[in-house]
Amino acid sequence: MKDEILKVICETLDVRKEELRPNKSLYESIGVDSTEMVELVVSLKKAFAIEVESNEITKNSTCEDIVALIESKKN
Amino acid sequence: MKERVAITGIGAVSPCGMKKETVWANLKKGKSCIDKITRFDASLYSSNMAGHVHDMDHYTHLSSRLIKKIDLFSHMALIASEQALKDAVLETDNLDKNRVGVFMGNALGGWLFAETELRDLYIEGREGVSPYMATAWFPAAPQGQVTIYYGFKGYSKTLVVDKASSALALWYAAKTVAQDKNDFVLAGGMEAPITPYALLCANTCGNLSKNNLNYKKAYKPYDLYRDGFVLAEGSGMVLMEKEQTARKRGAHVYGFLAGIGFTSDGRHYARYDADCSNLAHAIEDCLRDAGWDKKDVDYICLDGEATVLGDYLETEAIKKVFGEKARDISLSAPKSMFGNLLGAQTAMDLIMTLLMVKEKTVLPTINYEVSDSLCDLDYTPNKAVEREINKALIIARGRGGMNIILAVEK
Repeated sequence: MKDEILKVICETLDVRKEELRPNKSLYESIGVDSTEMVELVVSLKKAFAIEVESNEITKNSTCEDIVALIESKKN
Repeated sequence: MKERVAITGIGAVSPCGMKKETVWANLKKGKSCIDKITRFDASLYSSNMAGHVHDMDHYTHLSSRLIKKIDLFSHMALIASEQALKDAVLETDNLDKNRVGVFMGNALGGWLFAETELRDLYIEGREGVSPYMATAWFPAAPQGQVTIYYGFKGYSKTLVVDKASSALALWYAAKTVAQDKNDFVLAGGMEAPITPYALLCANTCGNLSKNNLNYKKAYKPYDLYRDGFVLAEGSGMVLMEKEQTARKRGAHVYGFLAGIGFTSDGRHYARYDADCSNLAHAIEDCLRDAGWDKKDVDYICLDGEATVLGDYLETEAIKKVFGEKARDISLSAPKSMFGNLLGAQTAMDLIMTLLMVKEKTVLPTINYEVSDSLCDLDYTPNKAVEREINKALIIARGRGGMNIILAVEK
């Protein structure tokens, strides 16, 4: 599951997996902007067939936060 | 203006080349760079030829992460801006970025991006639309992208005046430098009209040549058998600074923007007034603003709409202002070789004029075969001629008769 989520993040934002630094927010590690975050939320909703509010995943979320959120929604 | 504004860098993303050297070499040969449109099936459009920009991928310096968020017109403007900064040998890191502005002209917006998203809206609903749609489409998007890319925070603007958009942008830019509001400005324009919807709009408004079978020879301003202009995509950007700043840092100066004349026909929302007086007033205003005498002008870069009324009015206005002296001035419409870039056209005309000043050569008006008794000036037909140019005018006309004239001097 974690790998699949990271793959969606990388493909949506057009970044390499190595650029996503552990325990750093998306803003700190790859400098995302707010529009990229909208795109990411829509992609994750589609890829995992879940409902996500835009304030649940933000620029300040780390990849670990996103993985934990999606896993909790799937269970 | 208080102080002379120098142009020290140029960048051209155009159908006739992606580097100023290639552009000049192609244009000097009088080569037509118009092609059939193959980006999509345009066979049912009454005009289906255009000047295309080639090899963008080869010349781009942008990441794929940025490219997917922007329309083609922003992409072209970013490449042209980078070229202009490099040409001016200006290190952006050491500048006071609060005093660097960006001024651009555009007439249509970014339709290649927008059309795809509108199709997605129709098919998938609102969640199918890219979140970048709003920031990719609007006419000021390229200005925003360039300022973000370099972190420029000075006084900036985007102007929309149909085919004269970049003429006004260039002038506003020069004014902010002369009035000490900016130290440096990137100024010019960009246009990307070769998309299904934009091409349809351009076809509906008329004035495009329908000579599709003979597309290399279709754009023939001032020729008796002209039938309209041909569209083109591209971007032209220049870097401006005060003469003093340029001399101090040892920059190469291509020329100076010396004056502007601006009038409106005020007769119809799309058509020109059939009297040339308004255009003639604009030319006279420009000469006054630049402080030039009529006999000073060596060259005029023409609007060259290639319509009966457009060409006739331009010729009459020049004769009205310059009288017999009009026959001693070299005139030409180099755009006959690559098409009309609409909102970006005057920026491209300025770049051509600066290169002509540098190379002491007047670029030709191509496809001129049969003379028209009503258009009887020296349009530099088909072959470039050597001539030293010290003072030049550039004519830009928007629909409904927005007449903007720029004065350029060595």
